[in-house]
Amino acid sequence: MRYVVESCGYCGACVAVCSNKLLELTENEIIIREGCKNCGRCEKVCPLGALISEDAR
Amino acid sequence: MKYDVIVVGGRIGGSISSLFASRNDVDVLMIEKRQEIGSPVQCAEGTTFSTFETLEMKPSKKYICSEIRGAQVHAPDGRTMKVEEGMTDGNILNNNTISEGYVLDRRVFDKYLAIESAKVGTDVMVKTTVKDLIRKEGKVCGVVAKHLGETMEIKADVVIAADGVESNLAYKSGINSIKNPDDICSCAQYELVGLDIDPNLLEFYFGRTVAPGGYSWIFPKGEGIANVGVGVRNSTETAYYYLKKFVSKFDATPVELNIGGVPLSGPMDKTYNDGFLVVGDAAGQVDPITGGGIHITASCARIAGEVAAEAIKEENVSSMSLKRYDELWRDEFEDNLKTSFKFRKAFDKLSDSDMNALAEFFENNDLEKISKLTTLKFLGKHPNLLKLLKDLL
Repeated sequence: MRYVVESCGYCGACVAVCSNKLLELTENEIIIREGCKNCGRCEKVCPLGALISEDAR
Repeated sequence: MKYDVIVVGGRIGGSISSLFASRNDVDVLMIEKRQEIGSPVQCAEGTTFSTFETLEMKPSKKYICSEIRGAQVHAPDGRTMKVEEGMTDGNILNNNTISEGYVLDRRVFDKYLAIESAKVGTDVMVKTTVKDLIRKEGKVCGVVAKHLGETMEIKADVVIAADGVESNLAYKSGINSIKNPDDICSCAQYELVGLDIDPNLLEFYFGRTVAPGGYSWIFPKGEGIANVGVGVRNSTETAYYYLKKFVSKFDATPVELNIGGVPLSGPMDKTYNDGFLVVGDAAGQVDPITGGGIHITASCARIAGEVAAEAIKEENVSSMSLKRYDELWRDEFEDNLKTSFKFRKAFDKLSDSDMNALAEFFENNDLEKISKLTTLKFLGKHPNLLKLLKDLL
């Protein structure tokens, strides 16, 4: 998963849906821990399109 | 460092939990990851009058932008239905009137609640992120927090997670809190200035081209100013895409952009553990139809603070003791939330033409005088709606 920090609104919707709990919202950044399977769940709920599946690049 | 209660999150759920725990004479620490409480706003800011009854607070002009006296619903084909003052929504929203309440300035309101909590003794740490829970023999007994690069362990008898939709703490405590993406309403909102609107009327717009899986809204915040937003689910385009499209019809200027994810899955199966409670969005305490959660969270957070304080005084913070929180808030809200979730699932199956047909029906009939025969005739012409009604009954 590619994370575009400039497009992030820091809402945390992505964190709520990560099935492996690999995401964490700090004050103004999403941290993606190792192990992401690029499932696209976070991309689906991001209001600003800040998370992009590697396949879509 | 050791406290009786640590509350993680400094928004409405966190401040109210900490306020009511502190009022019950226990030592409380509230931790907020952001450097400023109340910001950024992640909400349309509407709530019911009952929120202030729960808080036993007199509403103040300091944080109330407008008083709402009605709502207008726009069907996909442009038909409108006005919900007048005093009309209720039956049991879906706990008998609150759907069209009366306040639009708040959350930035001021959240900070006000945090100040009220601090005044009665709550310690507050800002710009501090909780990274993990401390557990001993399975029981939660504190948090690992990080402030300006420094990691610290803070012990507590009870940890209350009020850390929003992005909460990882419930999961860390052993509660399954992973949400289905189809149950998350992805939202984007502008605060627009220069609008020609009724300052006391909420407006809702439905339709696949306006907001697939959700709705668009206008929540007035004063003369010519409003929160104008869009919430979508299961959409190929982002909420921001639909927001830009929706606001293009207004000759108005944005002065703020707000983003949010709202959990519409209904409440979690379990909201307590040994030494641990979950409240607010983190616990799914949000109405699955409207996405509104301030008044529900206010009640649940108050219960959480009071139950935590009571359990500490009784020197029993076990899962069995803290279960009282779960029972009390479910007594108040669970039936309504479950009904609302059932209705939301049914509404998901409505096509735009179904919504237009319903709007036409309500436009041509007095809502409070519709006879069974008229309803049956209407449903006979719309088999999809009849099937949905059967599913609901």
